[in-house]
Amino acid sequence: MSIAVIRFPGTNNEHDVIRALRQVPGAEPFLVPSRLGARAVLDADGVILPGGFSYGDYLRAGAIAAVEEVMDGVKELAEGGRPILGICNGFQVLTEVGLLPGVLLPNKTSRFICKWVHLRVCDENTLFTEGLAGLTIRIPIAHAEGCYHCSDDELTLLEQEDRIIFRYSDEHGVVTPEVNPNGSLDNIAGIVNRRGNVLGMMPHPERAARPALSSADGMTILENFVRGARAP
Amino acid sequence: MTGEHSDLIREGKVKRVLSDPASPDTIIIEFTDAVTAGDGAKRAEMLGKGKLACETSLLLLRYLQQRGIATHLVEKLDGPRLRCRRVEILPVEVVCRNIAAGSVCRRYGIEQGTVFKRPVVEFFLKDDALGDPLVTPEVAVQMGLATEDELAFIRSVTLSVNYYVRELMRQVKLTLVDFKLEFGRTPEGELLVADEISGDTMRVWDETSTSLDKDLFRKSTGDLVSAYVELLERLVSADTKAVGPRTERIVVEVMPKRGVKNPPGEVTMKALRRLGMKGVQDVRVGKLFVISLDRPVSPALMRELEAMNLKLLSNPVAETHHVRL
Repeated sequence: MSIAVIRFPGTNNEHDVIRALRQVPGAEPFLVPSRLGARAVLDADGVILPGGFSYGDYLRAGAIAAVEEVMDGVKELAEGGRPILGICNGFQVLTEVGLLPGVLLPNKTSRFICKWVHLRVCDENTLFTEGLAGLTIRIPIAHAEGCYHCSDDELTLLEQEDRIIFRYSDEHGVVTPEVNPNGSLDNIAGIVNRRGNVLGMMPHPERAARPALSSADGMTILENFVRGARAP
Repeated sequence: MTGEHSDLIREGKVKRVLSDPASPDTIIIEFTDAVTAGDGAKRAEMLGKGKLACETSLLLLRYLQQRGIATHLVEKLDGPRLRCRRVEILPVEVVCRNIAAGSVCRRYGIEQGTVFKRPVVEFFLKDDALGDPLVTPEVAVQMGLATEDELAFIRSVTLSVNYYVRELMRQVKLTLVDFKLEFGRTPEGELLVADEISGDTMRVWDETSTSLDKDLFRKSTGDLVSAYVELLERLVSADTKAVGPRTERIVVEVMPKRGVKNPPGEVTMKALRRLGMKGVQDVRVGKLFVISLDRPVSPALMRELEAMNLKLLSNPVAETHHVRL
């Protein structure tokens, strides 16, 4: 499965993502500098938008990357049902480009937060969460703008349609305001689009990819992603 | 004149506004040979004056359109007539002055001929009974004549018109002293430069500071028709393409929506208090975009800006935006 990993100017997690993907049998990740444009991604079976600080987070995190031409190709693939995963800054790009609803605002603490968190995975089985439904996983976050915000109507929709895939929780999977690191509505850490093929998440699955990193929980998400790229 | 039926919509002092048999969206403006001054107190007929005012308006409105300024002009018809968009004329007229002359001298005791450091824009209420008094933007907004944003738009367009006409005239050794503009609102709510731009609506001096405008008639100091011929001939000989573009500066303000937490504002507020500033209740941090363009403000530009605001400059989920001209 050819997986396009897009690097915008300022993206800095692309090699971590590629390294983690190489552990997945059948995955053939390739780096796409964004300047190559939409054509460079159209043959891919799936796309990952890695974390970092595209365009220095100028304007708003993800805003400039969202209007790059390469994103036209990502939109086309998303419409074709291909799996798209946006991690951290990639999640911010996906909301800015309109593939996911809402926006990621500055953390309520006004600080950059870098730490391990627990995530409660939704009970429904989705493309990205097969084998994880209802479990609590451990994955790190590292961001300054991760406070998920959307309209009340949008939040109701997300809840009704079981599209909130990950919520910040304690180690037992209990979702409380106390364990919400950044002020996100409803402890949201990751959501999918209506069709279920576009996932945006603030935590970094590629940094929880080996037991040596103290957790390999992120690998399941990446494996599911690659499997999704096989059979759209 | 053709045999088609046109109804008189409005009989002005020097022009007639007729319905356009071709379309309900346009009107026909017919220039007459009448000349008036002092709000109609002084009046005369001068053969050929209507045609000259029509030709001058056509030339200038067309030129302004080429430079990106939206006007009501559609096309020239035979005779001293222009086909124009049907608009609702705003009850506020705008005067732009480069050099003090006329009412501004009487009003403020400024010596005639004083050059203003920057062009002055004034608004006047169109009300014959009140003698068309000066109106401040604040009062105009309170009276519901136009919104604050509309007045800013009108002011910006007026300054562009001033620049483009003044520079064109400079080429042919004419000085644009001042001029009056009217604006009209389309059914879609867009504002267009309307009415005429001719020797009747501006003051123009030649290299000897002799008027080539209606002041000749107001003060009975010369032959108006030959001055209008001179004005038109010089304008025709000017090279419209040689006038460079005016740089327009537009400010877009983006602020977090009310109710959306603004951590940058919160930490700034704490720092202000720590530095001893008293009474600080709230600080909200937003963004300011200063955009320089080489084309004038127009309804089309405002639509484009709105699209760019929603698409890029602001995130409508969490932010509001406002264009300041």
